[in-house]
Amino acid sequence: MKKYIPSLLIFFLATSISVFAQDESISPQRKQAIDSLALEKVKDLSKYISIIGSKETQFSEATRVMDRAEELFAPDAEMGVSSINTNEIAYYKIRRYFERLMALNYDRVNISWYDIHYISDLERQPDGRYVGVITIYQRFEGTSQEAGLNYRDTTKKDITIYVEKKQTQISGRTIEFWDVLLGDVRVTETSA
Amino acid sequence: MRIIPLITLITIFLSIHTAPGQTFNSSGRVVDDGRFAAATKQVNQFFRRFNAEESKEGDQRYRPGDEKYRNVDLRKSFINILFDNETSGISNDLKREFISFVVSDTYPQYLNFHGGDWFAEVNTVFTYNGQRQEVVLFLKLQPQGLGYEWVIENVNFEPFADAFDKPTGDDKKFLHPLSHELGFMNLRKAIVEDSRPESYTPDGYKPDFLTLFLFEIKSERMKFETVKDTRFHFFQIDKWYFELAQFNRPGFNTGWLIANLMKLEDGDREIILDYIYDRN
Repeated sequence: MKKYIPSLLIFFLATSISVFAQDESISPQRKQAIDSLALEKVKDLSKYISIIGSKETQFSEATRVMDRAEELFAPDAEMGVSSINTNEIAYYKIRRYFERLMALNYDRVNISWYDIHYISDLERQPDGRYVGVITIYQRFEGTSQEAGLNYRDTTKKDITIYVEKKQTQISGRTIEFWDVLLGDVRVTETSA
Repeated sequence: MRIIPLITLITIFLSIHTAPGQTFNSSGRVVDDGRFAAATKQVNQFFRRFNAEESKEGDQRYRPGDEKYRNVDLRKSFINILFDNETSGISNDLKREFISFVVSDTYPQYLNFHGGDWFAEVNTVFTYNGQRQEVVLFLKLQPQGLGYEWVIENVNFEPFADAFDKPTGDDKKFLHPLSHELGFMNLRKAIVEDSRPESYTPDGYKPDFLTLFLFEIKSERMKFETVKDTRFHFFQIDKWYFELAQFNRPGFNTGWLIANLMKLEDGDREIILDYIYDRN
């Protein structure tokens, strides 16, 4: 969380001082800043997934990265995974999903990301928080030399983002800012 | 013979640009060959494309006041790519008629996320009395608290539908009109001996499957397993109906696309709703 505070504060100072306390709506400028922050978190998630999935990552390091990755998410977030063969969703808690990724039985794993993403509008929930979805695409390649196995897939990841106004104290002053947390992730295998 | 190196070069160039995920940009990211850009990746993007409220690349949101916001030419080109062209068999004439209707100069029609008249059909799997069974849930968006929420409005479940089959004509049994004089003692025969107690309900009786569904879940006879797929039914465009479904397949005609399109005459809306809800 700490690494995001400077960007959050810049965003706060740049866009919204006069608007707080009167209006909870999100202006296009603020939406853009929230999108950037959300994308930053999604990129971090992508980076963490690559580290966790890599066979070169030591167990202790992978555990530490899983902890960091978990911090990006709301507490009850889940991964819902479906494949080309079955469109039924299999549900995993975030931690379990990472553990399964780490335990994959390949000698070499390469996870890369496509240069394309899509960010939805933000919609307000009954509790006043905003919710959006960021779509990204991931390519997975796993090689098992002993079994001569070479597995490759491309998945679409639709990632929920929750946007919430929060407060922090800086030098005795209460500063309000918008924070982003990741929520449920829908993972769909694509035909690409 | 000099043509061979040229052909080889062209082949290499084409293979780079047609095989997905074969190239990387300078940041090490896989370069999309245009398929994911072309795909209508979210229902949100379907709305934006339908209304021409984003750029062709999808990276710029157009808002009221922007030059290209709801631009007619942009809308036409967008809506053209919002049809499933591979499996749905919607005729080109019908597509053209629909497009010219929604982009009309005098009465253009737009989709509105909060505008009602559209709902989701979600195919799910539950276990019912220990057996896996498909249950279709119909959800709609409603205002709630400070925002909006999806709520389950209707349920379709074959065992529920099969359980209610009210007889008509001579087959229909009844409680005779002087039953009250006997303190309705004949209810025993009606309810215990007759396998179709719905015979004794008023005209127009319709079982409420949503209540039954909730009761079965609360009684733990019905347990959620998973979601299979989702589609949407739109009645927002005046005198038109279309169905939105997700197409996950190779090529450029993918994502959320119009899978069914119908022009509505008077009374057609109810017929389609009856069909969707599987009501007789």
